[in-house]
Amino acid sequence: MLPVVLVVAFSAVIPLMTVVNYSLQDIFDPETPLFVGFEWYRETLRDPRFMAALVRQLGFSAAVLAIEVPLGILIARSLPREGRLAPVFLVVIAVPLLIPWNVVGTIWQIFARPDIGLLGASIAKLGLEFNYTSSVVDAWITLLLMDVWHWTSLVALLVYAGLASIQAPYYQAAELDGASRWQVFRYVELPRLRSVLVIAVLLRLMDSFMIYTEPFVLTGGGPGNATTFLSQHLTIMAVGQFDLGPAAAFSVLYFLLIVLMCWLFYSSVMREDEQ
Amino acid sequence: MTRIVLENVSHRYAQAQADTLTGVNMEVPAGQAHALLGSSGSGKTTLLNVLSGLEAPSGGRVLFDGRDVSRIPPRSRNVSQVFQFPVLYESLTVVENLEFPLKVRRVPGPERRRRAVAIAERLSVADLLGAKPAALSLFEKQLVAIGRALVRPEISVVLLDEPLTAVEPATKWQLRRVLKSVQAELGATMIYVTHDQTEALTFAESISVLHEGGILQTGSAETLFNRPSHEHVAHFIGSPGMNLLRGEITDGAYRIAGQAVAPASGLAAGPCTVGFRPEWAVAVRRAGNPQAHGLPARVTALRLLGTRHGQPVGVVTAQLGGAQISLRQVLDVEPGEEVLVQIQGERVIGFRDGWRLSTGAGPSGRGASYPSA
Amino acid sequence: MRRPRHWLLYGYCLYLLLPLYWLLNMALRSNSDIVSRLEVIPANPTVANFAEIFTNPVWYQAFANSLSYVVLNTIISLVVALPAAYTFSRYRFLGDKHLFFWLLTNRMAPPAVFLLPFFQLYSAIGLFDTPLAVALAHCLFTVPLAVWILEGFMSAVPTSLDEMARIDGHRLAYFFFRILLPMIRGGIGVTVFFCFMFSWVELLLARTLTASSAKPIVVVMTRTVSASGLDWGVLAAAGVLTILPGLAVVWFVRRHLAKGFAMGRV
Repeated sequence: MLPVVLVVAFSAVIPLMTVVNYSLQDIFDPETPLFVGFEWYRETLRDPRFMAALVRQLGFSAAVLAIEVPLGILIARSLPREGRLAPVFLVVIAVPLLIPWNVVGTIWQIFARPDIGLLGASIAKLGLEFNYTSSVVDAWITLLLMDVWHWTSLVALLVYAGLASIQAPYYQAAELDGASRWQVFRYVELPRLRSVLVIAVLLRLMDSFMIYTEPFVLTGGGPGNATTFLSQHLTIMAVGQFDLGPAAAFSVLYFLLIVLMCWLFYSSVMREDEQ
Repeated sequence: MTRIVLENVSHRYAQAQADTLTGVNMEVPAGQAHALLGSSGSGKTTLLNVLSGLEAPSGGRVLFDGRDVSRIPPRSRNVSQVFQFPVLYESLTVVENLEFPLKVRRVPGPERRRRAVAIAERLSVADLLGAKPAALSLFEKQLVAIGRALVRPEISVVLLDEPLTAVEPATKWQLRRVLKSVQAELGATMIYVTHDQTEALTFAESISVLHEGGILQTGSAETLFNRPSHEHVAHFIGSPGMNLLRGEITDGAYRIAGQAVAPASGLAAGPCTVGFRPEWAVAVRRAGNPQAHGLPARVTALRLLGTRHGQPVGVVTAQLGGAQISLRQVLDVEPGEEVLVQIQGERVIGFRDGWRLSTGAGPSGRGASYPSA
Repeated sequence: MRRPRHWLLYGYCLYLLLPLYWLLNMALRSNSDIVSRLEVIPANPTVANFAEIFTNPVWYQAFANSLSYVVLNTIISLVVALPAAYTFSRYRFLGDKHLFFWLLTNRMAPPAVFLLPFFQLYSAIGLFDTPLAVALAHCLFTVPLAVWILEGFMSAVPTSLDEMARIDGHRLAYFFFRILLPMIRGGIGVTVFFCFMFSWVELLLARTLTASSAKPIVVVMTRTVSASGLDWGVLAAAGVLTILPGLAVVWFVRRHLAKGFAMGRV
């Protein structure tokens, strides 16, 4: 046990304590910290840029979940369970998950450009205006396309594994009952998928809330700050300016927000189970 | 309820080297409790799937009341099945589970409820109607599964695939009784697949013995016991099964090691297998019994089963020639003793190439699998 | 019985493969060629971009750096997680569930939150700008995951085996290495897969904790982007090369992929 605790303490607790420490102090220069209590927290919550980033983040995460979860389920249901093609499909689907995130950003950065990208050029050929660097709508569309491309496979693979645990007689019984395709999904598959879906939704919720690299590479947060989400906002604060106090307060709030969301989601699902 | 006929059904799975079912002929009259007895690998599951429609046979026909349903999908055949473990919809309550087959066929609400409650009461699970499957014991869950199989009025046949497998051992006999009484009361055509002869012999009026993809014999428990038409049936049925010894027919008699044991008039001479059940022979001690006749053997083991009239009875295992035989009798011999085995000659059955030898003109070889006396 | 929706599946695969193909397309053309015209199939394919990467030390050093911290991270994670998973699996101690949960919450922490503290911490102990720093930083996220996965696999091994080994007179170390580990080979494979998956793809921490000597490939690529005089061809070639390790890993474990996912934890 000891090694684990040490490593994790080293990786997590000490830095975390440092962060909390900073968040409660005002540091004009490295030599003279001044204790200011929750001042930074209050300031952060009143900061309009923080609020804006938060709203954008919530919108992004909601859109991402709304697309990726149903799509992932549909893909998982159409994946063959056996046969020679099954492993091939699995590999193809798994590939986007193993690409460095900046490469993902780069791929889409190229792909969606009207001058050198297949997608961008095709859209231009159709006569439509498409430029993700200047148009907010286009930027969001490209971002969503990219994230769906990147992460839907995770949902699909998890659901696929969940479906694989359903034994044949359940399907046979439904067939003999005369159940329709939709009824089979609703009464045979969905109940088994609950725990898998909870994990999938939690993971996507957390990760989309923490997203940094891909939008950074694709749009740099622009146009303007139309695609600046929470992580990027924090990075700008922490690295660009040397205001450690507010940055630290923001970090703590960010972390707590994620833990809160996860806990809310998790316990609401658990409460349903108990009924 | 429907009369089921399988006409020369054979089936081979794609990519398989050989047929899983070969030339199966089976007839189940409407309302009969029928058992399909066979060890694993004999083709039981495939036969069930052909009956339910989950597999379409590669050859032959399946007839429901004379109608060819071989290619008709399961949902249109009005077949229901009870599986080895309780298969229920986990997110629905018991009553919703029972109503499901009716709901799918758009039976109106009040009628659905009436039928569901009726079958639940019949199976003594009416007090569980509002519960979810997770709260039920395996026995209760299987009862609900049976209820779901019976809830539709237009059901043609209920298929049961080793339904006692997953329930708690203490409740197996209870489930068996429920099945038998429900079957008798509703007059349902039920086909019960199992590898356990006790289950088959106690449940069914008529039993088909399945072996390596073909049906060896169909008949009542009594018929299978006393007049098996194949060595495999003879050996499989009974506990222990029939003793089968190498012998021959010479001069109008069955002979084992040269000694005549039974008359065999009208049968062709030559080597054959001589069969007799442990219940049809007795071993008497040789020592102190100079008048006794019989086949010489040596007792190797005794197994006590109980007492009758104060005397211990059980199974005697003995070595006769090169073969091991079993005898059910009073245990008045000791292991290691030399004994003489006396067989009731009129009950002996001879087999050649696996099939029973019988006098008369009728064919007794392969393919004659219609119900035979 | 279930009729797979072919069009959806093939459509999705096309959606996944098309941008990748486009990347390959770029990688096989010179920069001037790319900027001048759009070609669906390169008319004059060239491997010059790949050659550039293999010969230019900035690039191949970067690849080496990335590979080294990924491997380091995987090894450290495994070494640390295995005993911990064993403890969680075999022993009940005060607060064990809470410790477990706390480990998991680390996964929920946005890497951005740790930028600052990590920067200061690793500078303070002189590990700044080394692969080890990145490997350790990634441990924050990979170790909890590794413990979670390995604990699941270990719990599937009955404790009667532990007892048998003890009765036979073997020490714990013997049991651990000779009996337990081979049994959970699949679990170790899944863990390696996930550690690799996280560490290889992460950018923020990798960038923050390195400067010049330990620069990983992800940084070199992004730096190339922000510099002027963009060479799309080389960038694309680098991109293609970063996909290959992932592809290789998945190809080798493809049969275990679905089975490993399904075991226990899901």
